[in-house]
Amino acid sequence: MNFLDKIGSLIIGTGQHVINVLALFFETLFWLAIGPFKKKIAKRDSIFFQMVFTGIGSLIIAFFVAFFTGIVIAMQSAYQLSRFGANIYVAPMVSVGLARELGPVLTALVVAGRVGAAIAAELGTMKVTEQIEALETMALSPVRFLVIPRFLALLVMLPCLTIFADIIGIFGGFLVGVFNLHLDPYRYITFSFKFMEWKDVWTGLVKSVTFAIIISIIGCYMGLRTKGGAEGVGKATTLSVVTSFILIILFDCILTGIFYFSQK
Amino acid sequence: MDKEVVIKSENVIKNFGDRTVLDGVSLEVYKGETFVIMGGSGCGKSTFLRHLTGALKPDSGKIYLLGKDLNLLNEDEMDNLKKKIGMSFQSAALFDSMTVGENVSLPLKEHTKLGKSVIDIVVKMKLELVGLRGFEDLMPSQLSGGMRKRVALARAITMDPEIVFYDEPTAGLDPIVAGVIDKLILDLSKKLSITSVVVTHDMKSVFSIADRVAMLYEGRVLEVGTSDEIRNSKNPMVQQFISGSPDGPIRFFQQKDDYLEQLIK
Amino acid sequence: MAVKIESKSGLTVCHVDGEIDINSSPGIKKTFDSLISKKTPKIIINLSKVTYVDSSGLATLVEILKNMRTYGGRLRLTNLSSKIKSLFEITKLEKLFEILADEEEAISTFV
Repeated sequence: MNFLDKIGSLIIGTGQHVINVLALFFETLFWLAIGPFKKKIAKRDSIFFQMVFTGIGSLIIAFFVAFFTGIVIAMQSAYQLSRFGANIYVAPMVSVGLARELGPVLTALVVAGRVGAAIAAELGTMKVTEQIEALETMALSPVRFLVIPRFLALLVMLPCLTIFADIIGIFGGFLVGVFNLHLDPYRYITFSFKFMEWKDVWTGLVKSVTFAIIISIIGCYMGLRTKGGAEGVGKATTLSVVTSFILIILFDCILTGIFYFSQK
Repeated sequence: MDKEVVIKSENVIKNFGDRTVLDGVSLEVYKGETFVIMGGSGCGKSTFLRHLTGALKPDSGKIYLLGKDLNLLNEDEMDNLKKKIGMSFQSAALFDSMTVGENVSLPLKEHTKLGKSVIDIVVKMKLELVGLRGFEDLMPSQLSGGMRKRVALARAITMDPEIVFYDEPTAGLDPIVAGVIDKLILDLSKKLSITSVVVTHDMKSVFSIADRVAMLYEGRVLEVGTSDEIRNSKNPMVQQFISGSPDGPIRFFQQKDDYLEQLIK
Repeated sequence: MAVKIESKSGLTVCHVDGEIDINSSPGIKKTFDSLISKKTPKIIINLSKVTYVDSSGLATLVEILKNMRTYGGRLRLTNLSSKIKSLFEITKLEKLFEILADEEEAISTFV
């Protein structure tokens, strides 16, 4: 096989994956739309379990990432702003930067590593131990039964985690502002929110919802197509994390572009 | 005795890539009988079973299950048909995240309007049939291999299926547990008049449970008959398989002349 | 599937028609739930017109019996076809229920 052949088959292979992922996504939407009319949508306790695992389970890790990121943005922007004697603008730098960009993206990356990997590993194990086929033989759709609870849990919990991360990050920046830059705490808080618009928050949440879809669908897709025993499960897990990371950054870029150009 | 055909395959062909796994399989299974499909590893028997359950689609050929052509069914019709069949998997395939009771009750919970108390009674009845009553609250990981297979059996018959498929039900079990499983399969099919299709390469199990046997070799049906007919078959391949002899018409090593040449190349 | 309920010499006699299976069991249970909520003391179920009972049907009958016992009610089954009778034997339920050959006998001996 020569070089061009390889590129060609890579493109065709990738195209096939894109089609399959989209198919899974639309099948999920289909079940969400018609499920309630046809039969029980999904077991409520399994949605609840997934929400706890996704949301509550990720609180600590989201806390640390957001907290230190808030501190880092505050210090980095203070380094620049102090030259102009504009230290107080550290506050909006931190709050707006987190709400628009770093809150959603960092939380999504952390959750992709933790929850996305877990989804791929769990579904992958189910696949190689014939549990997925067992579901199908019982006329139970794996999408309805396994994908929907994980999809819904992420769709709800990732934006919640993002808001939590925004607040924790702002608190981290606040500590730098007050104890290192000796800014007035009250003024710091006022400035944090004075320059933050409603749009900053909702664009962040739109990103967060998009990332939730990416993490859950990619995790489920990689899990459900697992082949070949323990090694296959490992591969599926790695692939789901790597693919989610790339897609999160890619869609972050696309969405930021859309928001950036649409405001003009 | 007039025999009602419940499963029928006509010239089923399946290729994986450029490898032909099923090369024109035609078989009939009668109502209420225990039909065993035997053959060596890789002869296509498990693949054939997956065609019967609708998990795989043939490249060409037809499969009729309970009188319905699987090729012509839409998804809803297929789902309705699937409720009339049960399957016991080689690896048991119990859902790890659910207790034994939840595993067995899952199809009832999902497909019927029965109340929880009635479902609990059904679960107890099914677990009693496989000798595991009282294990409802254990997780699959707490069970031995033989127990897991029995739970899988109980789950396969939860919906009172007309046909139960067994994929290697005794593989990897010690002879006594294997005997227990064989007896269970026999009991279930005789008492509940379920049609059973068993895929196995365990010869002891073949002759203790089978009404009729089909031997598959390289994707083709080598011979079909009652278990006595197969036992006394004149076909040297069948006899070789029964006796488990390494010498005979079935070759497991490809004798290639260029072996020595390859060594010194 | 249909359940016909009548009173005969102070007893409640129910005639069940058709199949007692996954589809009809929930409806049958509902019918008997209303009898049970009135604490009907003696019920006879005539199964002569029942062609098929599956596990969920058996379980429903067990559930009815269980609920009747909470208030000391008694349940008798009559006119089982040989097929259904053997089903009760396989599942070891024949010892749980009072099973009688026919309705008249069940009524006359129900004390």
